Amino acid sequence: MFTMLPLLVLVPDTQRGLGYSNRPALSTPLRTAKIPHTRNEKVYFFPPKTKLIPLTTRRGTIMFFKKNEKSPGVEKLKSKESDIQMAESSEEFTRAIKNRLNNSSDVVVIKVRPDLTIIYIEALIETSMLNRDIIGQLNEESVAPSTVESQMNSGDVQQITSLKEAVFSLLGGAVLIHVEGFAPVVSVMIPTTDRRSLAKPENESIVIGPQLGFNESMATNISLVRRYLVNPDLTTVSMTRGEQTRTAISIMYINGIASDEMVETVKQRISNISVDGIMDSSVLMQLIEDNSMSIFPLMVLTERPDRACSWLLNGKIIIIVDGSSLVIGCPQSFIEYFQSMEDQNVKWQVASFFRLLRMIAMLLSVFFTAIYVASLTYHYEIIPQPLLIPLSESRSRVPFPPIIEALLLEFIIELLREAGARLPTKVGQTMGIVGGIVIGTAAVEAGFTSNILIIIVALGALASFTTPNFMMGNVIRILRFPIIILAGFWGFYGTMFAFCFLLIHLLRQSSLGSPFLAPFYPLRFRDWGNSVVRLPLNLTSKRPYQTRPLNSKKYDSKK
Amino acid sequence: MKVSIYPEQHHLVNAFLVMFIIHSAQLGVGVQGFQRIIYMEAKHDAWMSVLLSGGIASIIGFIMVKTLQSYESADLYGIQRDVYGKWIGTFLNLVYVSYCLGAFLVIIRNYIEVLQAWVFPEVPTWFLALTLMLLVLYGALGGFRIIVGVSFFSVFLALWLLGLLSYPLQYINWQNIMPMFEANTMDILKGTYAMTFTVIGFELMYSYYPYIKEKQKTTRYMQIGLAYTTFLYLAVMLVSLGYFSGGQLERTIWATLSLFKIVRLPFIERFEYVAITFWMLIILPNLMLYIWSASRGVTRIFQWKEKTFIWIFSIFLFAAIQFFVTREQINALSDLFGKVSFYVVYCYPIVLYIFVLIKKKVVRKGNAT
Repeated sequence: MFTMLPLLVLVPDTQRGLGYSNRPALSTPLRTAKIPHTRNEKVYFFPPKTKLIPLTTRRGTIMFFKKNEKSPGVEKLKSKESDIQMAESSEEFTRAIKNRLNNSSDVVVIKVRPDLTIIYIEALIETSMLNRDIIGQLNEESVAPSTVESQMNSGDVQQITSLKEAVFSLLGGAVLIHVEGFAPVVSVMIPTTDRRSLAKPENESIVIGPQLGFNESMATNISLVRRYLVNPDLTTVSMTRGEQTRTAISIMYINGIASDEMVETVKQRISNISVDGIMDSSVLMQLIEDNSMSIFPLMVLTERPDRACSWLLNGKIIIIVDGSSLVIGCPQSFIEYFQSMEDQNVKWQVASFFRLLRMIAMLLSVFFTAIYVASLTYHYEIIPQPLLIPLSESRSRVPFPPIIEALLLEFIIELLREAGARLPTKVGQTMGIVGGIVIGTAAVEAGFTSNILIIIVALGALASFTTPNFMMGNVIRILRFPIIILAGFWGFYGTMFAFCFLLIHLLRQSSLGSPFLAPFYPLRFRDWGNSVVRLPLNLTSKRPYQTRPLNSKKYDSKK
Repeated sequence: MKVSIYPEQHHLVNAFLVMFIIHSAQLGVGVQGFQRIIYMEAKHDAWMSVLLSGGIASIIGFIMVKTLQSYESADLYGIQRDVYGKWIGTFLNLVYVSYCLGAFLVIIRNYIEVLQAWVFPEVPTWFLALTLMLLVLYGALGGFRIIVGVSFFSVFLALWLLGLLSYPLQYINWQNIMPMFEANTMDILKGTYAMTFTVIGFELMYSYYPYIKEKQKTTRYMQIGLAYTTFLYLAVMLVSLGYFSGGQLERTIWATLSLFKIVRLPFIERFEYVAITFWMLIILPNLMLYIWSASRGVTRIFQWKEKTFIWIFSIFLFAAIQFFVTREQINALSDLFGKVSFYVVYCYPIVLYIFVLIKKKVVRKGNAT
C-alpha cells in the first residue's frame, strides 16, 4: 500500500554532528514557538506511527514502502495485554495474570475465601500491611469490588478493569483482590519502602554548607527539594520512559521563573526518547543533550539538594530520575562547571579568587604540557638562556623526544588516577604513595623523564582536579592528549589549531538552545558578576540571562 | 530574487557586535608588514597616511550604511539586482563573490607564507592550507552567529598582543618621526593608496547588514570599530617609525612581527613565534567572513543551500592556493588584489550610492505620476 505523503528525509545535521537516531529533535510546544538565539536547523516531523523509507533500486528510481515503527515483538506484547478481557472467574483471572507474568515463581496467589482471591508479587509489598490493612479488613460484607474498595484502609485503592493496568499495578507494588463473579479487581498499593538513608554527598563535598545528599529514591529527592523550596509554584511533571524499565522521571521547575519554552523542550526531548532502559540520570542526560557528539557535557549533574534548589531559583530546570542519586540540571553554560556550591557560602572575595584560580587551572591543565612539548621540540628560541640551561640539563639523560616523554608521563598519571578510582579508598591511598614515589624519583633516576616535565605534568594533573564538576574534570584530562600530540607534531601551530578548534566547537554548542559560552558570547556583562567572579549578594540580584527567566529579578538589592 | 531578506530571529546578532566584526575583519595579514609599503611612499610621515586612510574608511563606511539603509533589510546582492536589473545585477554580484574569494585566497596564502618564513620552513603549503581550511569550514558551517562569535573572541583574546607593543616603546627614538609634514600631499595620498589592503574588511558590511538586529545603530558601532582599527594601526605605525630607522624599515618586510622579536620576559622571549601562531585566531574571522559572504552571494543568485557553496568554495580555494608558490607570485597576487580592492572598496560604494539615489528618485517620480 503506497501512501501519498510528502517525502520526509532526515537531513544529517552537520551543525550538531552526524545524525543520531536517539537524539531527540529540538522540540517546541505545538511545533510553532521558536527559541530565539538558538540554532538554524529545521525539525522534520514524522507522522507518529508510520514513516516512509525511500528505497533506491538499481535503476535509480525511488520506491516507497510503509514500515511500521514498532517491531513485531512489541506488537505481540501489546495485543497480549489489551486483547484479553478481564475474566469474571477467579481461576481464569489468575491464569491470565500468571500467564502475562510468564509464570514467575514470585507471584503469590492466596485464596482467602472461596470467592476472594488475593494476588501480589513477593518482596514488592509490605507483608505487615498486607496482613493488617488488607486481609484483616476483609469480612462477610466483602462480596463485591465496590464494598471491598470501601473497606480498605490504605490510601491508594482503586478498581481496575484492564489486564494491562492490573499487571502494571502488580509490578508497582500493589495487591490485587479479585471477587468471584466480577470483572473489575481492586488494587491496593502497599509498596515496600526500602531506601538508603540520607547521607553526605561524597563527590561534591564542601566545608561550609549543608551536608546532605540525594539518594536513589525519587520520592525522597522530591521531598528534599520541596523542603528547601516551600513554594506553590514549584511544579513537578512526571513521565515514564524506557521500554523495559519504565523508569519514572520527574521534571521540576518553578513556574513563573523557568522559561516555558525550555520546559516544553525538556518535556518533548524526554518523550522523544526510545530506549529499553534508563539506569541512571547520567544516561538520560546523554540522551537529551543538544549534541551527543560533543565531548563536553552540555547538562550538569549534582547530588546536592541545595545546589539543585539554587538552580531552580535561577530559572533552571531539574530532572530527577528514579533510582538515581544524581539530579540533572539544565540549561548549563561552560563557565558554570567551574563553580562550586561553596562559592555561595564563603565571602565574595574568597569565592572570586577561587573561581579565577579554577579557570586558570583549567587552561593550565589543558595547554601547559603541550606548550612545554612544543617549545622543546620546535621553538627552543623562545626559552631564555638562563632557563634553557636547567631545562637541557634535566633533559640531557632522557633518551626520548619530548612528545614521547610527555605522553608517557601523562599516561602514568592517568593510570594512577584510574587505578585509584577503581580501588577501595584505603588501597587507593597506598596506590597514590607508591605511584608518587615511582614517578617522582625512580623515573627520573632511571633517566626516563626529566624533573621539569614531572613538575609540569603534576601541575597539570593537579589543576585538572580543581574543576568542581567530575564530568568536566574528565573532559579536561582527556583533552590534553590530542593537544600534546598536535604540539609534538606541529609545535605552536598545532597547539593553536587545537585552541581554535576548541573555541569554535564550544561556540557551536548550546544547552537547551541557550549558548554554551554565555556570558562571554553572547556578551552579557551583568552575568559576569556571578560567573567569572562572585560579587557581593546585593550586586547579583538578577537571574542570569542564560536561563531566559520569565522574571529576572531575584530580590531587591536595596534591602 | 528578492531584494530584501529577513533572516530568522535566532540568526540575528546584536548591533554592538558590529564593532567586533568590523575590527576583526580589518585586522589580518596586512598589519604584519604594512609599515614598509607605506614608508616607501610617505617616508617618516607615513603615520599621516594611516590616519588619512582611517578617515577615508570611516567616510566610505558611512556611505555604505546609508546605501544599505535606503532599503529595509537588503544586502549588496539584493541592491545590485534592484538597481541594475537582472543581468547586470547578477553579473556584478558574481564579481563581488569572486572579489570575496580573492580576498580569502590572498589572506590565507599570505599567512601561510609568514608561517613558512618564520616558524616552519619545512611544512608543506597544502598541509597548512588544509588545517586552516578545516577550521574555517567548521566555523563557517555553523552559520553567521558562530562566525561573529569567533570574531568577538579574536578581538578579545588578541588584546594582550597590543600590550607587547609597549616593550619596543622603551627603545623608541622620536627623532625618527621629526620633522613632520615633510612629505607632500601626493606622497601621503600614495601611502594611503598603498594602505588599502590593510584597511579593507569593513566592506563585508554589505553582506551581513540584514543580520544585524538593531539596524539604526549600525553606523555608530561601525564607526567605533573603524576608529579602533585606525587607532591600532596608528599606534603600530608610530612605534615602528620610532623604533626602526628609515633604512631598516625599507628592508623589513614584516615590521610588526620584527617588533615582537625583541620582547623578553623572564620565562619567554622571541615572542614572534607565539604571535605568528596566535595570528591564526586573528585571520580566522577574516577567512570565515569572506567565504561566508561569497556563499551568501551565490546562494542569493542560485537559491541553493548556503552550506553547499561553502563546501564547493573551500575545495576550490584549497586547489587555488597550490598555484601560488614563490614569493614573487604571492606578491603579484597581493598587489593585484590591492588594486582591485581599491576600486571595489573605495570607489564602488560611492557609485552604488549615487545609483541608488537616482533609482529612488525615479521610482518616486514614477509613483507621483
